[in-house]
This record gives sequence, C-alpha cells and structure tokens, in this order.
Amino acid sequence: MRQSSVIARRVAVASVSLVVAAGAAACGPKDNDAKSSGGDSQPHKGGTLTVLNANAQQDFDPARLYTSGGGNVPSLVFRTLTTRNRENGAAGAQVVPDLATDTGRPSKNATVWTYTLKKGLKFEDGTPITSADIKYGIERSFAAELSGGAPYLRDWLIGGADYQGPYKDKKGLDSIETPDALTIVFHLNKPEGEFPYLATQTQFTPVPKAKDTGTKYEEHPVSSGPYKVVANENDGERLTLERNTYWSASTDAERKAYPDRIDVRSGLDSSVINQRLSSSQGADAAAVTTDTNLGPAELAKVTGDKALASRVGTGHFGYTNYLAFNPKVKPFDNPKVRQAISYAIDRTSVINAAGGSSLAEPATTYLPNQKSFGYTPYDLFPAGASGNAAKAKELLAQAGYKNGLSITLTHSNSKDFETSPEIATAVQDALKKAGITVKLQGLEENDYSDKIHGAKTEPGLFLAHWGADWPSGGPFLAPIFDGRQIVKDGANFNSGFLDDKSVNDEIDAINKLTDLGEAAERWGALDKKIGAQALTVPLFHPVYKRLYGKDVKNIVISDWTGVLDISQVAVK
Amino acid sequence: MSEALVASPAPAADSSAAGASGARRFWRRLRAQRAALVAGGVVALLALVALAAPLLTAIEGQDPTTYHPSLVDSARGGVPVGPLGGIGADHWLGVEPQTGRDLFARLVYGARVSLGVALGATVVQVLIGVVVGVAAALGARWVDQLLSRFTEIIIAMPLMIMSLALLAVVPGSFPRPLLVALVIGLIAWGNVAKITRAQTLTLKGLDYVAAARLSGWGTWRIATRELLPGLAAPVITYAALLVPMNISVEAALSFLGVGVKPPTASWGQMLTAADIWYQAAPQYLLLPAGALFVTVLALTVLGDGIRTALDPRAASRLRVGTGRKGEAKAGVGTGGGGSTGDGAVLPGRGVPGTEVSRQGAPGADVSRQGAPEVDLPRQSASCDAEKEATA
Repeated sequence: MRQSSVIARRVAVASVSLVVAAGAAACGPKDNDAKSSGGDSQPHKGGTLTVLNANAQQDFDPARLYTSGGGNVPSLVFRTLTTRNRENGAAGAQVVPDLATDTGRPSKNATVWTYTLKKGLKFEDGTPITSADIKYGIERSFAAELSGGAPYLRDWLIGGADYQGPYKDKKGLDSIETPDALTIVFHLNKPEGEFPYLATQTQFTPVPKAKDTGTKYEEHPVSSGPYKVVANENDGERLTLERNTYWSASTDAERKAYPDRIDVRSGLDSSVINQRLSSSQGADAAAVTTDTNLGPAELAKVTGDKALASRVGTGHFGYTNYLAFNPKVKPFDNPKVRQAISYAIDRTSVINAAGGSSLAEPATTYLPNQKSFGYTPYDLFPAGASGNAAKAKELLAQAGYKNGLSITLTHSNSKDFETSPEIATAVQDALKKAGITVKLQGLEENDYSDKIHGAKTEPGLFLAHWGADWPSGGPFLAPIFDGRQIVKDGANFNSGFLDDKSVNDEIDAINKLTDLGEAAERWGALDKKIGAQALTVPLFHPVYKRLYGKDVKNIVISDWTGVLDISQVAVK
Repeated sequence: MSEALVASPAPAADSSAAGASGARRFWRRLRAQRAALVAGGVVALLALVALAAPLLTAIEGQDPTTYHPSLVDSARGGVPVGPLGGIGADHWLGVEPQTGRDLFARLVYGARVSLGVALGATVVQVLIGVVVGVAAALGARWVDQLLSRFTEIIIAMPLMIMSLALLAVVPGSFPRPLLVALVIGLIAWGNVAKITRAQTLTLKGLDYVAAARLSGWGTWRIATRELLPGLAAPVITYAALLVPMNISVEAALSFLGVGVKPPTASWGQMLTAADIWYQAAPQYLLLPAGALFVTVLALTVLGDGIRTALDPRAASRLRVGTGRKGEAKAGVGTGGGGSTGDGAVLPGRGVPGTEVSRQGAPGADVSRQGAPEVDLPRQSASCDAEKEATA
C-alpha cells in the first residue's frame, strides 16, 4: 500500500537535498531577506546542524543522484562545473560557475562547450582536482550499475547513446576532451544552449579514478566540497559530515559552510519531523529538513502561532500540476470538449484540496510562474476563480453534448495532494456544475505511473504533474510537447501526442540560443502557443513551506529549489 | 426418553407455538437486561438515521458531496472558518477541512455504507458458515474432513491481507460497497462454520433427531426441520457479534484506501482523511471515530444481550419442570455444545479482533506514508521519476 514508488522517492531525496556547504566563515553575515529568527541574526561558524528527513539518502554516488542543481546535501560534498546561485528568489534561479571559472564557453553553434577549472582545487585527501577527474566522473555515470542520473548526457554527448561506462570501455568517451589538467571540452551531437544548467548536476563532479570503488563508492565518495562523509549508516539513513580541510572558501563563492558538522537523520515520519522542528528542543533547535513540507493541517496549526509562523521558510520550485488529455480517446479528440473542461475547472476548490492558497497558486499556464522559465502570463480559457460553467455548457452544446457528458478521470491513490483522490474529487465537483459527470478511476501508484506513461494504455483524462530539472522552459516543454519525443513502447511523456512541425522547429531553434534570457522569452511564447491547443488544463503551482529550528540562521531559499539551501545555513 | 423428547425440542423452539413462546421468553429475558435494551435502542436509532439519510440531509438543506470553498480558510490550509469547525444552523456538525463539505451529511450517509456493508457481510458469512457447518456435520466422514480442513484454512487466512489483495485486483467498475461486503463475507465465515458444525453434531446425537431419523425422514428434512431451529441461538448470537467486527473491518479497509471510493462517504474513509487534522480540526476526526465507537459498542452489547437471552442452559433451566434427568442430559448436551460454540466464538472473536487492532498499525503507516509524500515528492518532480523510468 505504500504508494510512492521507490524511484520517485529516491529522486525526491536526491533533488531535495541541498548542500550544507562550505565553511566559508570568512564571508561575513549575509544580507538575507528571508525571515531568520530574531536576536543576533549574524551567522557564525561552528556548531552542528541536524537535518531531519523522511527519506534516507540511499544513493550518495554522484553518478546515481538525480538532482536539480546538484541537490541539497549532495552539494555539500560534491562540487560541479557550474552550480545554482545561492540567492533568495529569482536570483537563485541563475546558473553560476563552481569548479569552473565561468559557466562555459560555447562554440560551433553551441555544440561545443569548453570549461576551465579554477586553480588550487583539491580533493579531501589534498590531491589536486583535474579535468580528467571530471571526465572520469561523467563516464562512470554511463555504467549500467551506476544508473539513475538524468538522461541528458546520454542524449547529448556524441557517442553517448552507445557508451557503456569506463569499467567496460577503458578508452572512455571521445566527445569529452581534456587537453590539459584545467581544461575540459564537451562535444554535443546538437546545439544545446542550456548546457551550463546541465553542468550543475552531480555527474559533473570530479571522481578520482584511483579511489573509485564502483557501486561501493557511495559509502565514501571523495569530497570536493566543504564537507566530507565520515559516516554513512544504514544505506544513507544516518549521514555524518565534517569539514573537508582541503576545501577553500576562496575558490567557492557559493557555499557558506557555517556549521562544523552536519548530522543527517532520516527515516522519520513527516509528522514527527514537523513536530520536532516546531518544539525545537535540544539539538532540534539547530535542525532543518530538506525533504519535508508542511501539510495543510500542520499549516493550520503553525499559522495560529506567531513564534512558529516566523520559523517557516516559503519557496517556489518550478512545478505544475495539471489535467492531461489524451486526444486519441473520445470525447477528448474534440478540442471543444477540452476547452469546455478548461472553462469549467474550479481552481479554488482544487487549490483547497491541494492544501489551500498558502500551499498552491492557481496556474493558467503550463510553464511555472517564474521568470527563469520564461513565464508569459496567459489565460486562454478563463475560468475565473471558481469555473465558468455557462461557457463550458455552451461549448459542450456546440460539440454535440447538449445533455451533458460522462467522462472518466484517472488519478492515483497516493496521499500526496497532487494526483490523489482529494484533487480528483474537487475536479469532479467542479465539472458537475457544467453538466459533466465524472467517474473517478483511482489506481495504485505504480499502476497509475505505468498506465499514464504508456502510449497504448494512457487514459483519456488524468491528473499529472511535471517538475523542472533546471529552471528553464526547455526541460519543461520539450519532453511533453516535442513530437519527436513520443515513445510508442516505453515511457512516453508527450501525453497529448502533439507532433506539430512548427513546435518542433521552435524547440530546435531555442536550443541553439546561448543567451538564456532570450531563450526564456521564446519558451514563454511557445508555451502560450501550445496552450491554445488545450492539451492540458493547468491547475496549480505548489508552494513549499518548511519549518526550521529556532537557532537556525541565514535562511536562503532560491526559486531553483524552493527549499532552504543548507549550504547557507548557520546555527551559531 | 420421553422427557428428553419433551425437553430437547424446546430450545430448538421448532413448532410454531413453541416458537412464539420461545420468542416471548427471549424478549422477556432480553428486556431484563437494561444495557442490551439501551444498546438495542442505539442500534435502532443508527439504522433509522442511515435509512433516513436523504431525508435528514434534506431537512438540514445540505448534501454530502457539494463543496463549499467559502467555508474554509484557504490561506490556513483549508481549516473550517468559525468556531468548532464551522458548526452552525446550516451545518449542524460543521464542515470538512479543505473542501467545506457538510460533515453531518457525510456522517449520516457514511452510516449507510458502514452499516450496510457490515450487515451484508454478516449475511454472507452466516449463509456460507451454516451451510458448510451443517454439511460437514451431516455428511460422510470424507465430506466432514474436507469441509473442516477447508474451514480451518479459511480461518487461518489473515482477513485484512486477503481483503487488501482481493480489493486491489477487482476492477473499479464493480459496485464498491457490494464488493467490500462480499469480500469480507467470503473471507471471514470460518468461525460460523465451526460453531454450526459443533452444534449440529451435538443436536444430531439427541433423541428427537434420532427419532426423526428412525421415522424415515431424509437428511434434508432433518436438517431444515430439526436442526436449523436448534442452531438459531448460537448462530444469531455469533452473528450479532460479527456485525460490529465487520464495521471495523470496513472502516479499516476504507482507511487503507481500498474500501469504498470517493466521493462516497464512509466512516473509515472520513477517518483516513481526518487523521492529519487531529490537532487543527479535532472534531473532523472525532465525529467518525465517535460514530464508530458508539456503533461498535452498542452492537457488541446488544449481541451479548442476545446471547444471554438465547443461552441454551438458561433456557433449559427455565423450562425445567418435568424430567430433571433428561433435562440435565439435554442441558449438558446442549450446554456442552454451547460452550464449544462459545469456545469457538471467543477465540474466533479474538482473532479478528487482533486483526482489526493490528490493522491500526498499517493505518498509522498509511498516514505516515501519506505525509512524506505530501512533503517531498513534489519537489523531486515526477519528471525526475519519469525520466528515470525512461532511462
């Protein structure tokens, strides 16, 4: 009955984990606009930061982690070529250099990307970090036994599709060149202007070949970041990190690394985590969580208590929950029916079902409502706050359903307030007003996941969601709307089976852009254009609210991750 | 012999005259137990409420499925607006957090599901149990062996796990409440069969049954005319205790998400949805929990009262007047049977009982599992998972 699939869970952990990075005590107090607790809000070095998590960090191998921007806890140990900007809000959605001196120099129409490493970079054992270590780290991620990362490297690097990893193929990948110890060059099979975003993922962390122990490497990965792993118990359930003395704040502008020690304890019930953070006693006063949000009921309790409410961090992660149509299934082949449902939707009750207006914002665009995604506001089928039943009925009459319509909505039986029965029931209630009778089909989580991603089994109407691998329109729109990404056998994400040449061409054209701002604008315009087809009904964008302990300072929450960045947190 | 003949049919209350007087005696003895009477009244009231659910909600002016977004504080996670969960003239028991659906309407409609499923399941259990039990007792030795072993296998099967498995595989188009009743009924009839078999064996040895056999009656006629009336007492007693157990099982299954489907209200489902709200909106949890508690308690007390009223030993003692010897013999016989039955009843109850309480633990798990999902997979993004699946 446990619903969330192992994969989803693992991924969750990975992407949620932020780094408690670097002990750059030298960097003085940071001007943080997030609410840190009163008193002396100046962050100081020292102390132990406790991380209370629900899910264990089961994979701690940089090859296997699937992260957005390098993760939270992993980013404390693994530095990458580029990383996310550790700033509050929209500024935090930018990509910045990490091990490299810049975010990458494109050439040959963005098919070749060159990086130069900073000088003086060292592993935890004092040996220098070279470009060959980064190349080796990437090659490892191609090994079947170390799978789990994002598919982009395999898709983008020349020869990536057939490469089996360094254990089987000693020669390595020719498309990654290391002309000298500080330079690394990537050769891609197509223009990819967003390569700098990809270089934030943990696959771009250096791995010393001599220390590689294959699948056992995750027990003690060699650190390039401000902390090293001193203990990893019960498959990541308890992680202890201490300072990596060879890490230098002068080469790392992003990680602050205030605490001396990080103690990650997972396997906790989420209600226990929130209870412990709210009582904030003993070591829990210096505790945060990197994977547990406040639920609706907990929020109701917290907002009634001023002291508690001041210890809630609020963030936005690029994410959209929506209704997906399969236009191959009647009556959803008729655009008027899809539009009618778009008009009929009651976003107020859907948002209430998702946890209320503090935990979800109404969505009328497929792209998340953030600038870095190229958010272009549009509301093509205005439903207002509570649905436009009259307009919906009118469209249904035009479509030949004068006396109403009966449809099935497929959802999962998980308790996630996303694709769960609560949301489905709210949709059902809203459509009733427009004369649409909705039958609910609740599926067990794995079954649900299999069905909605099978081109042959995809239901006509289902609850879906999509999150960003990095804060840009590319990884949001391309997998869902690029006609060449329709997968007949296997996992298909183009649920609307959209194969429109003008859309495909525009995706290719934007991928060539290396000006990320310009690319964002074009993604926004493309989103609006696709929106006119009504292949989805955007419902809401989630908002993350998380408690932290009363001694925790320097709260930084970027729009990239939406959660507090533990590389910035101080407990003294 | 003649005494026995007089004595033994009496508990069986088989002729219509004896039936009437038996019923009177039963009623008299039941009436003597105040607790059982009160419990009976509560049960009757609950049944009435369940039957009159549409009427009651019409009087209130509400229905169980309509959303009232304006009655919840969206910014605070959807907690009901107003004191005590929004209790007022329009919403007698307040509204549900997040949706604003009327709790009174959901509670009374939920009673229909909870009571209906439990009664349906009990009927199925009694039918199967009695048929199997009588067949085992009257059949040839191999039939008895076969049926008895099969019954034991059924008893040994963990009810919750079997129900979870069965409910998960049946397609969603099958009417859910009926399905839940059938599943519970088809899995948990073993103890009824055992009691029936033991009682039938006891009755079979009695003189009046022997006399019937000697006068050339067929097995079927003996079973229906001579044995079934004698089985009524233990079976009715056990059935009365099965009903509350079945209510708990239905609640547990709905709590685990495999019972009736939304938006149909059931008490178990309300409990599932309410568990995270125990601090912020306690009445939301207390209403279905209280309703379940009262119902199960009332039915159990009533069942106990019925058992006392029907107890064969008490019955024979009251009937004694003529043949003390035969009476004693019959009394020992039936009493022995009865206590065998009780012996089976009590451990039997014990087992499902633990089953139910044990399911409390998975319940807790569920709520736990719910929460992490609330929290984090959001962030991790389906897309990640999906991509991983692709890879």
